[in-house]
Amino acid sequence: MTLLGTASFVAVIALWWAVAALHLLPPQYLPSPAAVVSKFYVLLVKYNFIGDIGISIFRVWSAFLLSAAMAIPLGILMSSFPIVNGLSQSMIDFIRYLPVPALVPLTIIWLGIGESSKIALLWMGTFFQLVLLVADDARRVPREYIEIGLTTGAKPRQILRSIVLPAMLPSMVDNLRITLGWCWTYLIIAEIVAADSGIGYVIMSARRYVKTDEVMAGILAIGIIGLATDQAIRWLHRRWFVYLT
Amino acid sequence: MAHFLEIDRITKVFGTTSAGAAAINVIDGISMNIDEGEVVVFLGPSGCGKSTLMRMVGGLETPTTGRIVLEGREVKGPDRQKGMVFQSYSSFPWLKVLDNVRFGLRFRTDIDAAEKDRIARHYLRMVGLGDFEDYWVNRISGGMRQRVAIARTFAAGPDILLMDEPFGALDAQNREFLQLQLRDLCLKERKTVIFVTHDVEEAVFLADRIFVFSARPAKILEEIAIRDLLPAERDIKLRESETFFNLRNRILGLTRTQALRSEQMEVSQ
Ligand SMILES: Nc1ncnc2c1ncn2[C@@H]1O[C@H](COP(=O)(O)OP(=O)(O)O)[C@@H](O)[C@H]1O
Ligand SMILES: [Mg+2]
Repeated sequence: MTLLGTASFVAVIALWWAVAALHLLPPQYLPSPAAVVSKFYVLLVKYNFIGDIGISIFRVWSAFLLSAAMAIPLGILMSSFPIVNGLSQSMIDFIRYLPVPALVPLTIIWLGIGESSKIALLWMGTFFQLVLLVADDARRVPREYIEIGLTTGAKPRQILRSIVLPAMLPSMVDNLRITLGWCWTYLIIAEIVAADSGIGYVIMSARRYVKTDEVMAGILAIGIIGLATDQAIRWLHRRWFVYLT
Repeated sequence: MAHFLEIDRITKVFGTTSAGAAAINVIDGISMNIDEGEVVVFLGPSGCGKSTLMRMVGGLETPTTGRIVLEGREVKGPDRQKGMVFQSYSSFPWLKVLDNVRFGLRFRTDIDAAEKDRIARHYLRMVGLGDFEDYWVNRISGGMRQRVAIARTFAAGPDILLMDEPFGALDAQNREFLQLQLRDLCLKERKTVIFVTHDVEEAVFLADRIFVFSARPAKILEEIAIRDLLPAERDIKLRESETFFNLRNRILGLTRTQALRSEQMEVSQ
């Protein structure tokens, strides 16, 4: 993280701490940072919060990997074959404008409240966006690169493997990182509506008893996981694609 | 007698396939014959159709009418026989310099890896980049990047080299140096080359023969046999000679009116 990024974090926490310390707001509205952190600790050691975090991460990554595994090949096919594009484009556009919360009742009716309904929801929220992003990444590969392949005797498969994939990879990894973030947004929606485990469930049950510190501890957990994953992928991006800098 | 490359009454009209777009007549019946080992330059104003004709020779576009025959076989599509050097995106940023050159041989199955390596290093040295094998192409200058692309294309061993304004984005000094190096390389390797440019001095310096294109739709205005007027071996001093100067002026006069017409066409489009 940059110095500026860290500074803004510190500033927000300092402001939060000041507001809480001066008792400007009752603790049901805004518990102090210390209270949230200690609650976080209590949740971890006494209430198996780790298990909830684990199940949330599991749901996010299952859906994310499923989306990616389907979106990457289909996106590339859409970019190279107008017929695939024509067949799928309007369908995808229709589905991707549907708000994910509106799909929650449907997934519950179809798949119940088990793991599959949550994964299906996250999949619907991300697959249709991701496939268009991947198709765009593939379309942005310069025509010259492909023609270098054609004039060195590469077959279509070889052009795909040795040119199109490496050329589109940096921007695709960026898009995957952003998609992973969306998964978290949709996960909390799914867990708040119908779940008996996961970070979203913890947040929702705490709200019922106005345990604001617990609600904020749950939010903190999501924030930390999100930030850590994002930084990790950015770090990998810099390592893999050193040639871009 | 059959020639190495025969371009036979080629026309090209763009936009007739996609509905709605107005058809653009780009090439208006061009014929020419090119012999093995010749360096031929297509000279003409921007947008006149030089790239289009060259891409048809490379099999990357299909003629609307007419035939292109290379070594007795009609050109049907791109392959290793016809190598290309572009002005931009001419090398792969995810490969280092040597790997970019090696890429030219990557899909050949008739030689082994050690042989590929040897050939790649040979051409990298020929363009003066022997010490830059391990550099990322984004870390070297634009001129060096074009030399990488030239080395890759020579390494691939095509029968004909097609170069589309490869020095167009370089500064004047770099351009002169690369022209010199390329002319040298072509003589040594006895390669058949088609070189596209709108720069008159570049054309005169590099060419055995220049074809001067008219504004769109392109026709051949004039064919100038530079090889009868300048020595085969060329150096920097040649640029200051009177013969060179006079040639340049004569061709500039020829192209000036075409460039003007071409510009008006772009504006009115
Ligand atoms: N694929 C294409 N579709 C439609 N028009 C094209 C296409 N390629 C080139 N053109 C048009 O053909 C004309 C000649 O282009 P080009 O051969 O690139 O010119 P030059 O290389 O001489 O600058 C231009 O007006 C260009 O807009
Ligand atoms: Mg051009």
